[in-house]
Amino acid sequence: MNFEYSEKEKVFRDDVKKWLKETLPSTLSEKVKKYQRLNREDYEIFMKNLNDRGWLAWHWPTEYGGTGWSAIEKHIFEEEIINASAPRIVPFGVNMLGPVLIEFGTEEQKKYYLPRILNNEDWWAQGYSEPGAGSDLASLKTRAIDHGDHYIVNGQKTWTTLGQYANKIFCLVKTDINSKPQSGISFLLIDMDTPGIEVKPIVTLDGEHEVNEVWFTDVKVPKKNLVGKENEGWTCAKYLLTFERTGIAGVPYSKSALNLLKIISKKSFKNGKPLIEDPVFSSEIAELEIDLLAMEIFNLRIVSQASEGKAPGMESSLLKIKGTLVRQRTTELLRKALGPQALPYLPEQFDEGWNDMPIGPDYAGPIAKQYFNMRKISIYGGSNEIQKNIVAKASFGL
Amino acid sequence: MDFSLSEERKMLQETIARFFENHYDNINKHHINGNLPNGFDNNLWQESADLGIISALVSPNFGGLGGTGEDISIVFELIGKSLCVEPFLSTAVLSNTVLTSIPNPKSNLISKIIEGNLLISFAHSEMNSRYEESHIETKAEFKNDKWLINGDKSFVLNGDSSDQVIVTARIEGNVNDRNGIGIFLLDNKEINKRSYNTIDGYRAAELKFDNSSGELLARDHHALKCIIKANSSGALALSAEALGIMQICFDMTLDYLKTRKQFGKSVGSFQAIQHRMVDMMLEIEQVRSAVMLASSTYQSDETLRDKHISAAKNLVGRVGKLVAEETIQMHGGIAMTWEYSAAHYAKRLIMIDHLMGDSDYHRDRFKVLNRI
Repeated sequence: MNFEYSEKEKVFRDDVKKWLKETLPSTLSEKVKKYQRLNREDYEIFMKNLNDRGWLAWHWPTEYGGTGWSAIEKHIFEEEIINASAPRIVPFGVNMLGPVLIEFGTEEQKKYYLPRILNNEDWWAQGYSEPGAGSDLASLKTRAIDHGDHYIVNGQKTWTTLGQYANKIFCLVKTDINSKPQSGISFLLIDMDTPGIEVKPIVTLDGEHEVNEVWFTDVKVPKKNLVGKENEGWTCAKYLLTFERTGIAGVPYSKSALNLLKIISKKSFKNGKPLIEDPVFSSEIAELEIDLLAMEIFNLRIVSQASEGKAPGMESSLLKIKGTLVRQRTTELLRKALGPQALPYLPEQFDEGWNDMPIGPDYAGPIAKQYFNMRKISIYGGSNEIQKNIVAKASFGL
Repeated sequence: MDFSLSEERKMLQETIARFFENHYDNINKHHINGNLPNGFDNNLWQESADLGIISALVSPNFGGLGGTGEDISIVFELIGKSLCVEPFLSTAVLSNTVLTSIPNPKSNLISKIIEGNLLISFAHSEMNSRYEESHIETKAEFKNDKWLINGDKSFVLNGDSSDQVIVTARIEGNVNDRNGIGIFLLDNKEINKRSYNTIDGYRAAELKFDNSSGELLARDHHALKCIIKANSSGALALSAEALGIMQICFDMTLDYLKTRKQFGKSVGSFQAIQHRMVDMMLEIEQVRSAVMLASSTYQSDETLRDKHISAAKNLVGRVGKLVAEETIQMHGGIAMTWEYSAAHYAKRLIMIDHLMGDSDYHRDRFKVLNRI
């Protein structure tokens, strides 16, 4: 056993770091650090820079513009972009649809859509969940009826992240309502400008608008926008859901939150002493760090299996469960560390260019908000309950 | 033993319950009132005074009709269920406790409070304090026949719109000394303030004193006793409020689990989910019991009072987190939305642990009081 990164990997990490330092505008990383609201351009600048460097589609096969990186290198890359406080790579086009098109798309679809994804000409949204189809995604009801050379789509999608910026959406739709839930589903590419589509914002419990409802009323979609075979869209959906899940544990996020937690625990006082000297609180920090230490190795074990060509299966479910719990725990301890300083909330402080005096220390503002916002991570992308079902079904033989 | 409420209290409970049901008939009321200029609805405050809700929080010795631990619990459990933002905690509990507990109680002010004509905030927290009763950096000095206050107070509930403010300040000694503390009454109009809403939608303010003159209400051990009692009364009120919220969260979750269908059956039909609901239910019953105990000993000697209140508030912190997080998780995405009231109940439940001592503070205080 050797847990050290190789020389080549270390050099790679330095290259990524250096590149990020040179190209990521400091105004942008500041916004990310302060949890300020990002606009469309903020995301696009970073993705354009990545594409110029040839790193946007880092996990696509090389013949389509991928990097050919090993699983470890991909992992390092993901860590470094988070460490640099870059905006996240909007995953719907490049990370989700791209691989599906490469695997199931026609030559024409690949030729048309893949370059547009790389050049940020299209902003894709994901049309999976519906009000009645969350954990049970296969029970979706949005219908596409065959009209010869096109479909007519009716229904509603929900939790569409950043759908307010999207000009395209890939959707799972029901093309055969008489078959079993998982068959009769097709994977359709829909232009958001088509008449009959309406995007309505969903405001989340922290007062932010990131997710949307998308309504379809008699939306005409040409048949050439079908990906894979009709009624076999579930294969695409599953492929997409299992693709590149090694970053799912969010280890770098938890690590940076742990660092902040230590800083705050030194600056906060309890009974006249730094909070970090409180035996109970420091024990809680220590146990969080122990969980995180173990999880990082767990994550690397799965990454290195992937680099040997083994597809991560139920392990990614285990990582998702533990990863979200640990990340949520960091937000909880941060909130606790602040004590009453967690109470004030200035919504305007998350606007770009806000320069007023914060209430209390500058790190306090986003913390309670983040705690509430992070409740979502154990719900989305297959709730932790669903992940447990997957693991139990895959491994116990019960 | 008798765990039931007297007929009189049951009537009180029904009257107040109806009042809140009528005025807080949906979650938008919580947002609307919280965003009014004063952070609450003045008319509603006046109506609640007319109905005797404020009076129910004040002892008959001072013209009220209640003021016992049971009364506080009854009123605040219903406040929790409504997510009402009116200044019951700041004026009718915290300041009322101070004004009735000082060596020369302020009966005239309390009468005005009962009538709904006077708002007084209690300003004890500071930016660098963590719920401690004697962490006071704000200074008071006697100069030219006047007490002058200098310093800052933080997270002062309804501190922006109250007529007067009760301020704890240090007359002598070091920041954490238990001696040398004074409690002062100040006119709030002259004080520099910055107001804001808390993340759960309640109004608070940062106050800045610059040679602000005030009337000395109590000092030294009298002052400390009043601060401790005020904090305990607030912690009891918040514990009862949290209990009301927990019950709403549980009921909403159960209701949702019955109606929400996935995989062809109700989500609540899965055993794994049922067991979690049972865990939540039994923890809420624990909280209910602890709040009852704390209410029943509120008028006893200080040690027993504070020990039981700390027990309740510690449990509320721990169970509150469980209930808030499980409510969101078992609902799924819907409880992440602003539209859905459970999200706001969950937020309040979590933030109650940041007021009047968190679960750690009260565990530590319980440990100390247990040794006495």
